[in-house]
Amino acid sequence: MYGETGNKLVQHAKRTQALAHLPPYQTEMVRAVTREVRDLDKDVASILEPFAGSFNPSTEPATACALLVNHLCMRRNKRCLLAYHRVRSDKLEEMCWAGIDVLERQPQPQSHKPGSEAPTMGTDSNSSSLSPEEEEYVRQYSDLLAAYKGQWTDIDLTGSLEPPKDLFIDVRVLKDAGEIQTEYGAITLTKNSQFYVRHGDVERLIAQGYLQRLS
Amino acid sequence: MDIDDLLAEVEVDSVPQEKRDLQELTRAWVAERVAPELLPWPESLMDRVLIRIRHQIELVEDQTGNMDPKANFKLIIIQTELERFKFLVRSFLRARINKIHTHPLHILNGHTEHSASALPLLAPSEYQYLMSHQALLSQHYASSFLSQFPASLQKLDDTTGGISMIDKPDEDAAVFCRCLRDVGEILVEGTDIRFEMTRGDVYVVRWSAIRGFVKSGDAELI
Repeated sequence: MYGETGNKLVQHAKRTQALAHLPPYQTEMVRAVTREVRDLDKDVASILEPFAGSFNPSTEPATACALLVNHLCMRRNKRCLLAYHRVRSDKLEEMCWAGIDVLERQPQPQSHKPGSEAPTMGTDSNSSSLSPEEEEYVRQYSDLLAAYKGQWTDIDLTGSLEPPKDLFIDVRVLKDAGEIQTEYGAITLTKNSQFYVRHGDVERLIAQGYLQRLS
Repeated sequence: MDIDDLLAEVEVDSVPQEKRDLQELTRAWVAERVAPELLPWPESLMDRVLIRIRHQIELVEDQTGNMDPKANFKLIIIQTELERFKFLVRSFLRARINKIHTHPLHILNGHTEHSASALPLLAPSEYQYLMSHQALLSQHYASSFLSQFPASLQKLDDTTGGISMIDKPDEDAAVFCRCLRDVGEILVEGTDIRFEMTRGDVYVVRWSAIRGFVKSGDAELI
């Protein structure tokens, strides 16, 4: 049926919005919808062919209706595809802003479960949930973001969006993070130790999961 | 001119520029977060704020070696202030980027319309960002599927067929606003509601009805 795959794609996009990670790219469905559009376009061309450019809708209401349906289906499919890709690229952009390296992280979710690492090395451990085009997009978008951020060096655009309350905070070290330089000298962050440090100095490390903020 | 107006004038003149800038920045930040559409870029204000932030950062860097407890205490206060300023600017910029993301083509049209006037909609860097982001997106769409479409369907800003592809923000969304100066009677378009706004009044009203007053500074969003 016309538009059925497109509909599925939209449902997929809707589901993606609620998920924390990005589900695999539906190459097959995208191709199917694209194919449908091209077939419809061919249909339109073949319907119009006998009229040789002098088609009058009022004399041939039946043909006009068929054409209209075809056109609407094509437009609808285009919207579905655009929506699907937009949802995904929005998600990818969000990850770029949050400082998550999307390309690096891709294979990880599978090897995350302890004890089940061996079997996941099977068929799909290499396949990414991004399409090649999306990977390219992420790469270029991170460059763009870095360039835009570079114009606001003093502000640190990707910093926390929580209003700052205290200049200094208590943090506990969750993972060894080595030595960091602060205005008050160097601090060596070893696991399970606790520090009272300037928020701005360790914000990055908190976001990356090295430190935990104690309230 | 009554006593309120006189008071208002005295208030404005006696406040130093720095404090007024903070007030303006906070106002711009709140307005940007609440208004449904992108507001003009406050160029001179942002320039002043950014220069001041840079000064303060330099001052902090200069003074860090100083071990005098008094200076140290002052430094902590300056740093706290700095963090707050940085937060305001950051949040402000992020709110704008968010809107640029949601309605890129609509904003672009608005920007080209206003580019000749004194108050451009976008900062130069934001304009650059928008353009390269759009280029990236359309390239992504094209390589993913759009290039295989019939030529007549490849456009991204198509307005034929009854539906415009350019998404617009909801200009009739309700906002909270406080009136700063008497503006007289306001007519809410599309309805027959009229009301009078006087200084200090707070209203929930359609953005489209009070947009002009917010932009001219007669009212502020809260």
